[in-house]
Amino acid sequence: MPSVIETDNLRLMLGRREILKGISCRLGVSGAGKAIGLLGPNGAGKSTLIQTLLGFHRPLAGSARILGFDCHRQAREVRSRIGYMPESDSFIANMTAVSFLHLMGELSGMPSEAALEKAHEVLFHVGLGEARYRNLGTYSLGMKQMAKLAQAIVHGPELVILDEPTNGLDPSARLRMLKLVREMKEDHGMSVVLCSHLLRDVEEVCDEVVIMKDGLIVHQANLEEERRSNRRFAELEVSGDDSELAAALGAVGAEAVSEGGGRWRVVLPPAFEVPGLWQITARLGLNVRKLTHRRDSLEEIFMKAVGHLQRTPGDEAAAEPQAEEANAHGRL
Amino acid sequence: MAVYRLGYQRYQGPLTTHWQRLLVLPRYAWRRLFQQRLVLILLVASLIWPLLCGGYIYVSHRLDLLGSLPGNLKDAVEIGGKFFLVFMDVQAVFSVLLAALAGPGLIAPDLANNALPLYFSRPLTRFDYVAARMATLVGLLSLITWIPGVVLFWMQAGMAGWSWFAVNWYLGAGIFFGFALWILVVSLVALACSAYVKWRIVAGGLVLGFFFILTGVAQMVNAVLRVGWGSLLNPARSHYILWSAMLGVDLPPGPGVWPCVIVLTVTALALALVLERKLRAVEVIS
Repeated sequence: MPSVIETDNLRLMLGRREILKGISCRLGVSGAGKAIGLLGPNGAGKSTLIQTLLGFHRPLAGSARILGFDCHRQAREVRSRIGYMPESDSFIANMTAVSFLHLMGELSGMPSEAALEKAHEVLFHVGLGEARYRNLGTYSLGMKQMAKLAQAIVHGPELVILDEPTNGLDPSARLRMLKLVREMKEDHGMSVVLCSHLLRDVEEVCDEVVIMKDGLIVHQANLEEERRSNRRFAELEVSGDDSELAAALGAVGAEAVSEGGGRWRVVLPPAFEVPGLWQITARLGLNVRKLTHRRDSLEEIFMKAVGHLQRTPGDEAAAEPQAEEANAHGRL
Repeated sequence: MAVYRLGYQRYQGPLTTHWQRLLVLPRYAWRRLFQQRLVLILLVASLIWPLLCGGYIYVSHRLDLLGSLPGNLKDAVEIGGKFFLVFMDVQAVFSVLLAALAGPGLIAPDLANNALPLYFSRPLTRFDYVAARMATLVGLLSLITWIPGVVLFWMQAGMAGWSWFAVNWYLGAGIFFGFALWILVVSLVALACSAYVKWRIVAGGLVLGFFFILTGVAQMVNAVLRVGWGSLLNPARSHYILWSAMLGVDLPPGPGVWPCVIVLTVTALALALVLERKLRAVEVIS
């Protein structure tokens, strides 16, 4: 199966500025129904990368393929397989939502009758059923976002590219949008590329994440694997005689490394749950002073990738001030 | 089942061809244009002159009605190149008005509402988009230009007989190709103005200004500098000279046919360049 997105040394100049500086990556697997998060601070080149993949910009060098098709030589093939939700307000004036989606469906290659039927169906799906005969110009920002999502999926594309889909949405609308995105991949088998600077959105929906900074990919991670591996890692601090702890943990299949002073790093076996640690330490008569089921959050991954954190999150002394700063801002 | 109970399912059915997709935009645009009362009124008004010309052709062949006319008046009603040149000249004015009314609504709203990324993320290139928008105007302007012109030509040929057609067949070709060239330039002007300014009304004014102000400028240049080449600045005049040549009518004073062809070609290329620069999915500010 081809990758959803595959780029090789993709470079792009806009004016005199080099926006994409040699991007090489292979993301997702076509037909797997997974979501890829494209993260990065403002100006990192996320939207430009998407626009280049859509063929809006001609790259200076390198190549890009979507679902196995070359983005520039086979642009028509690519575009007939994707749905795109742009970041900014985009609609056609003086049109009802139904007419708008009908037109978009027809332009994507659906016969007129099927496009009209799908237009109604999709508008109900995104929660605009009752407002489908209203002019798009009268829609609120949240409704316009939903209408943009609807036009992106009306023709049932294999890949949906969403550029900042939760921008301007209130909390309940945001949750609804994320639920729809999850349904797209889980229930309908669509691949999703979610471009956002909101870490929580990406963390909630995506299986894979790419972090960009200054026109380069600085980190690529499989969130599913990260989550899995995070579940298996614990930090333990005990007081008392812990000389038998390594053997006791080894007996249940865990690997433990002592860091001295009663501090242990433990890799748990697949079937072993964290409460089991309490039972082992109690049996050995140890007092547990600290038990951390450590989890590398996406925020920590992101902060490391864009250079805000110089050390791993375990080194709190170095990390906390910056992490707090990031938390205070909420958005990056 | 009621649509609200269906739930979303991905479309898996057959797809239309590229040409069918191209015709979607003109179809929607025509539907919206014909909902505008002003467009309908102008369209109907534009057909009055062809009807009068048709009546004139009919009357000119009723010899019993013309029998009482003096000889010089009989010559005046003769249907030939001059007659069709006057017909084309009048219809050209209506076509400019119609293009100024209908043209700006084709691209300007898409630019104002940032709709181009929606079009260009679908299997539709920039060229396809311009071709589809141009097809809208070509279809509309054809209704008042070459279609009635060719109908009049065949009406005259039918009434005057084979001998007239054998001698004057080039008039039909001249009407068709003359108007085709005119529609191309008028459509390009309307689309370029629509792409250049995002406000419909201003774009409409710009279309009218392009033709009427340039007419004034050309006359001013001719009068002030006492030259004839100033007419080259007037695209309508350049067309008139071309049409005269196509219909075998004596050329009016001023530049010849080839300078007009060159100027119109350069104008069309310049307008195409404006469209190429302005119609982009995303605006790049460097």
